[in-house]
Amino acid sequence: MPQLKQLVVESPDPVGRDAYERVAAIVLQDLDLVKVVEHLYIYADPMVPIFIAAGRLRHMPRAIRVGDFANVNIGEKMIILDIADETYLAPLLQRLWGRYGKENVDQPDRFTVVLPLGVAGEEELEQIVVADPSETLYKDVIYALQYIAPEGFKVRRQYIKEGIFYYVASEDTLPGDIVETTVKPIFERMGVTL
Amino acid sequence: MTTLVPVTYKGGVYRHDEIMDLIDDLGGYVVQKHVMAQDVVLQSFVPRDDIDLIRRIAKPLAGEVAEAPLVGTEIAVVSPSLEIHHLPHPACDIAEYLRRVGAKTNMIGLARGFGKRIANLNDEERDIINEHDLAIYVLGNFEECIEKKFPAIRQGIHVPIVVTGAPDRETLERIIDPPAEGYVGGIGRIMHRFKRPEELAKLDELVDEVSRTLDARRDDIARDPLSVFPPRLMAILEEQIYEIALLTHPTPVTAQMEGLRVKLPYDLYADDLRALEIADGVALGDIADVLPSRMRNYILVRIKPFSETGILV
Repeated sequence: MPQLKQLVVESPDPVGRDAYERVAAIVLQDLDLVKVVEHLYIYADPMVPIFIAAGRLRHMPRAIRVGDFANVNIGEKMIILDIADETYLAPLLQRLWGRYGKENVDQPDRFTVVLPLGVAGEEELEQIVVADPSETLYKDVIYALQYIAPEGFKVRRQYIKEGIFYYVASEDTLPGDIVETTVKPIFERMGVTL
Repeated sequence: MTTLVPVTYKGGVYRHDEIMDLIDDLGGYVVQKHVMAQDVVLQSFVPRDDIDLIRRIAKPLAGEVAEAPLVGTEIAVVSPSLEIHHLPHPACDIAEYLRRVGAKTNMIGLARGFGKRIANLNDEERDIINEHDLAIYVLGNFEECIEKKFPAIRQGIHVPIVVTGAPDRETLERIIDPPAEGYVGGIGRIMHRFKRPEELAKLDELVDEVSRTLDARRDDIARDPLSVFPPRLMAILEEQIYEIALLTHPTPVTAQMEGLRVKLPYDLYADDLRALEIADGVALGDIADVLPSRMRNYILVRIKPFSETGILV
């Protein structure tokens, strides 16, 4: 299993630094983001006060298609979808009902979905997008950072796009150029241009 | 005079009423009774000399008697907010651990206790915390934040305070001014259950700190005793006020070190309570203040000391 390559926490307060390192590690583990976040850098300074988290995501999970978890068998009288993994069964049924109508989608048992012959070709069925985990992943990452950050730091600026994210929070108003002055240098150290 | 000591009895439901009768016969008081499935836990005060007798009688029933220093105290566990940052760990773990040693703990999540500059305490929170015997403030990781916010969230609190936070004990002692009554360092924002040995050791340290603080208060009370021992008053109220038996609260009457919280509506019962004769010619109103509690519509009974009333029940 790929692990978080680097979790770096910096703070002028050594006790707080250690505590935040533990907090960050546990939160990422609890929210099942260890496999997703490749690099996370945190800087927390209560004197300013400021909390900065910046990092990179590992590959974004791609969209889940029917072919990923089911075999499409075109029979003589009907099309049989043989489900290997039930995780996406509910969204699959929703999609099929929407496309072909409830009357055409039959589910004789948990692992089998039957469609009438001729509604779609094998290739077409296999390519139907059932779910997109990255939709919720963005929310999960931002939630994790909110969870890690000190609670009083309510003023925040967040960004997540194309595998890069940052989260800057403070108790006071954030200066307009906070991203340029503080976050950009961190990304430069990581070898990433924002 | 026999000294009553706080103990916890743990045993089965079967024949536990015999133990309750025994405690009653010996002149002790059962402050709280928990029935959990087949188990019973009795938080009680019993005469020191009779603990062995109770142990002997409880032996065939597989009951155990253990000292529980915090029986008969009501403790507030104050968390800066009810957000996921501070709850459920460690506030719940602390509250739960103190219950094991007999305390009645209430958790108080402040509305705006977070942030070093913006933290504050409103009058309702202040009054509710002041209704307890002791308050434990469960604070966070940064020394700077604790130093700046703590004066704001302790404003107007006159009950003893025990502070916990991630900085070590010496640092907490240094930054908190005026000093609090107790400190436990090394417990900050912990995002998981207390389970490692060093974390559990911290909870034991907290129990010791709380017991030490409350013992100091008990010594003060012993110099000028209360007009009536709160568990005794509790027993009298439970016997004389029928409605208490109808309440579904786990503790319809909560014993505190210097009073009681009676979970009956103040408007309807306060006058009856004041007039209640608890000994020959002594009404409750003579020896205690019957006040409205800020917690729901309960009644708070604060027992006056002997020096004020000249009565000892």
